[in-house]
Amino acid sequence: MTATTETRIGQPYLAALRKKLPHAVLEERWQTDDQVTVTVKLGSLPEAVATLYYEHDGWLSTMVGNDERSLNGCFALYYVLSMEGAQKCHVIVHALVSADDLEFPSVTPKVPAAVWYEREVRDMFGLRPVGLPDERRLVLPDDWPDGLYPLRKDSMDYRFRPEPTADNETYKFVNDSKVETTVVPLGPLHITSDEPGHFRLFVDGETIVDADYRMFYVHRGMEKLAETRMGYNEVTFLADRVCGICGYAHSVAYASSVENALGIRVPDRAQAIRAILLETERMHSHLLNLGLVCHFTGFDTGFMQFFRVREKAMTLAEMLTGSRKTYAINLIGGVRRDILGEQRLTTLKLIGELRAEVKRLIDILVSTPNFEGRVKGVGLLDPQVARDYSPVGPVVRGSGHRRDTRADHAFAGYKLIDMPVHTQAGCDILSRTLVRIAEFFDSIAIIEKLLEDTPTGPILTEDFAYKPYKFALGYTEAPRGEDMHWSMTGDNQKLYRWRCRASTYNNWPVLRYMLRGNTVSDAPLIVGSIDPCYSCTDRVTIVDVNKARSKTIAYKEMERYCRERTDSPLK
Amino acid sequence: MPDLSHLLLAVLQALLLLAAAPLVSGMSRVVRAKMHTRHGPGLLQDYRDLFKLMQRQDVRPPSAGPVFRTMPIIMMACMLVIATGTPILTRFSPISACGDLITTIYLFALARFFFALSGIDSGSSFAGIGASRELTMGVLVEPVMMLALFMAALLAGSTDLGAIGAAVASGRVHSLTAVIVAGLAFAFAVYIELGKLPYDMAEAEQELQEGPLTEYSGPSLALLKWSLSLKQVVVIAWFVGVFLPFGSSLDLSVGGVLLGLVAFAVKLVLIFLAVGIVENSVSRTRFRLTPQHSWLGVGIASLSFVFYLVGL
Repeated sequence: MTATTETRIGQPYLAALRKKLPHAVLEERWQTDDQVTVTVKLGSLPEAVATLYYEHDGWLSTMVGNDERSLNGCFALYYVLSMEGAQKCHVIVHALVSADDLEFPSVTPKVPAAVWYEREVRDMFGLRPVGLPDERRLVLPDDWPDGLYPLRKDSMDYRFRPEPTADNETYKFVNDSKVETTVVPLGPLHITSDEPGHFRLFVDGETIVDADYRMFYVHRGMEKLAETRMGYNEVTFLADRVCGICGYAHSVAYASSVENALGIRVPDRAQAIRAILLETERMHSHLLNLGLVCHFTGFDTGFMQFFRVREKAMTLAEMLTGSRKTYAINLIGGVRRDILGEQRLTTLKLIGELRAEVKRLIDILVSTPNFEGRVKGVGLLDPQVARDYSPVGPVVRGSGHRRDTRADHAFAGYKLIDMPVHTQAGCDILSRTLVRIAEFFDSIAIIEKLLEDTPTGPILTEDFAYKPYKFALGYTEAPRGEDMHWSMTGDNQKLYRWRCRASTYNNWPVLRYMLRGNTVSDAPLIVGSIDPCYSCTDRVTIVDVNKARSKTIAYKEMERYCRERTDSPLK
Repeated sequence: MPDLSHLLLAVLQALLLLAAAPLVSGMSRVVRAKMHTRHGPGLLQDYRDLFKLMQRQDVRPPSAGPVFRTMPIIMMACMLVIATGTPILTRFSPISACGDLITTIYLFALARFFFALSGIDSGSSFAGIGASRELTMGVLVEPVMMLALFMAALLAGSTDLGAIGAAVASGRVHSLTAVIVAGLAFAFAVYIELGKLPYDMAEAEQELQEGPLTEYSGPSLALLKWSLSLKQVVVIAWFVGVFLPFGSSLDLSVGGVLLGLVAFAVKLVLIFLAVGIVENSVSRTRFRLTPQHSWLGVGIASLSFVFYLVGL
């Protein structure tokens, strides 16, 4: 462990917590200088999380459920808070849940951001959050048997599949509107999104009164896969495949979670290379989203032009990593490939071209007739809603909050540079787009800076040994926002628990508020503005995709609703 | 009563437009691909698409009724009737009963009515929204069209499309400025009627999964797509026949008609190229803002009336 008492960041938060709840704090354990796990009594859990969240500028980053019955006879919950007040650090509120009654007090009534996590932990571990307002399944499909909890250690072996228990979709979509509405189903497959997600829009004429949605149609069971079948280094390659766009961010987050847990010092040069590749990934991801914004507004010419230019970013990735996606570069302890002198020169040349071409395209986009009319004032995310639900990335920065993991909790090569953070106060799609545009040019500047004075030395350290049951966080700022991984090592050269939380997971819950009051025609545009990544979110459990998918679409019901429509759209 | 040669010409020009419609929409796709810096499909791609769709199975939603089934045929029939009456190759309308501006406007409205009705009949909510949008667009566009054409009729002293065209071409009108302004208003209305970006509200792909087209498949989709591209050509022919009739034949001589054909083809291609450039450099308008745009059209058309009164 590198942590020492003097350099620890975040001690005032603990002091405040002890002062507010004198008898609640049982234990504190420091994983690194800026990561501390505080064990609290189960009954004080909601109070402890809410105190850190609302009184000390905490944001809920993730929540980890863990089956620790073989270690201490209990289930464990870890609420990870990213503290972004005067001292920037991570405080993890930990509580043990008895294996006998399986109940814990829900945090959601005090901190709404916890809602998806608590629904998920209920699905995966069978722990019952008492007082959780929304008790529907989140992750498991409707035909999954009751009483089978995939992430428990004594759950059914991963090689088997449970028998489906229901033929029809039984999921209840929530509609809070006061007036009579008609239902417009967007999905499970819709023309503007190439991944399945089912949105129900409750509309009056063309105005969306309320919306609800469900994801997780294509779970890949990656966490279980990593825990049961893979060694530590294989999981870095699995993490690459969490996402088809921003997989490298996951790989870095996973690797650094294990490095933090074991106290491994990664060489500076490897850290810089990781940052360069993360920014390469950000460039092609943001260009993708800028193209999609054009596509959703019907401006396909812009879409095609952005994709033409994006090809340069892909070429860059191919040159630096050997594949068009930034795949297979990380190992625990460093990276597998160095950036050579010639590659450095080519990189500088390519990003110079990118800067010029993208600048031209942005000028065209901004001056396109009625583009601004489509995106300005549409899909508003109220800053207070954002504060309550802890969204991440350009979504939260577009609503005026200065949250960027690269600046707040500098990791990898970002320690070597000054990170600018761009925010916009418009809260609309235009703001999110402008944030992405600014970040694209930042990425170019960061790569140039890091290539200019790259630290010298080795790119990989293998001078460490795996120790069992060590755990820590690893995090990155992916193009869509913060990725948060939590890993606990096991005693069999495998992970005991790997919790991978992708950025879009935190952005889904606020989407409902962004859709309200807009028109049906803007819905795909609004969904697109969070740059959603379905597959990143859909990663947790083992689902027989074919069986679950083939029986879910209740078209008859939709048709019945459709004929009830009464109001014309223009009044 | 039209004689045999007039009837022959009417059928000939309707069939000609029908045959050329996929070529014109194919040309739009080529322009689109060029603007996208794509290779894109060839000029004849739409013929291949229609041929392919014709061989496919026709699947209908279980709740769809007779309106849904017959709409593609009604649509096609309306467009063909309009095509027979419009002065395309000649300065005069081959069948003057069909060439009246009121008849033409109502035939378009009939097609629109069934198009919207089929969307509601299909039972899909996207088609339903597309249908209500289609009707709303009709309410917004038709006044502009009416006003502009009535201006022209007022100036020429007839509601016959051929007579208006002849009057415009010869300059025998009360006020030239009024004609030009009315032409501009009509051009705007025609552009909206084309159903191209930024006004392809009912068939907006990203927003409504192509609206009323959503539930069609196989031969009926082919017929519908063909009718929609025919509609675009007919609408342009309508505009050209009234406001840009230059080059069309004054009589029924073979040479004159052929020359008229060449003139019409050139005008059609030029107009579609211009439309292609416009549609690929804009975003789709927000549906709620469309009334503001159509008010502009009404404004221009009213301006033309002012010019008529002043006599400029």
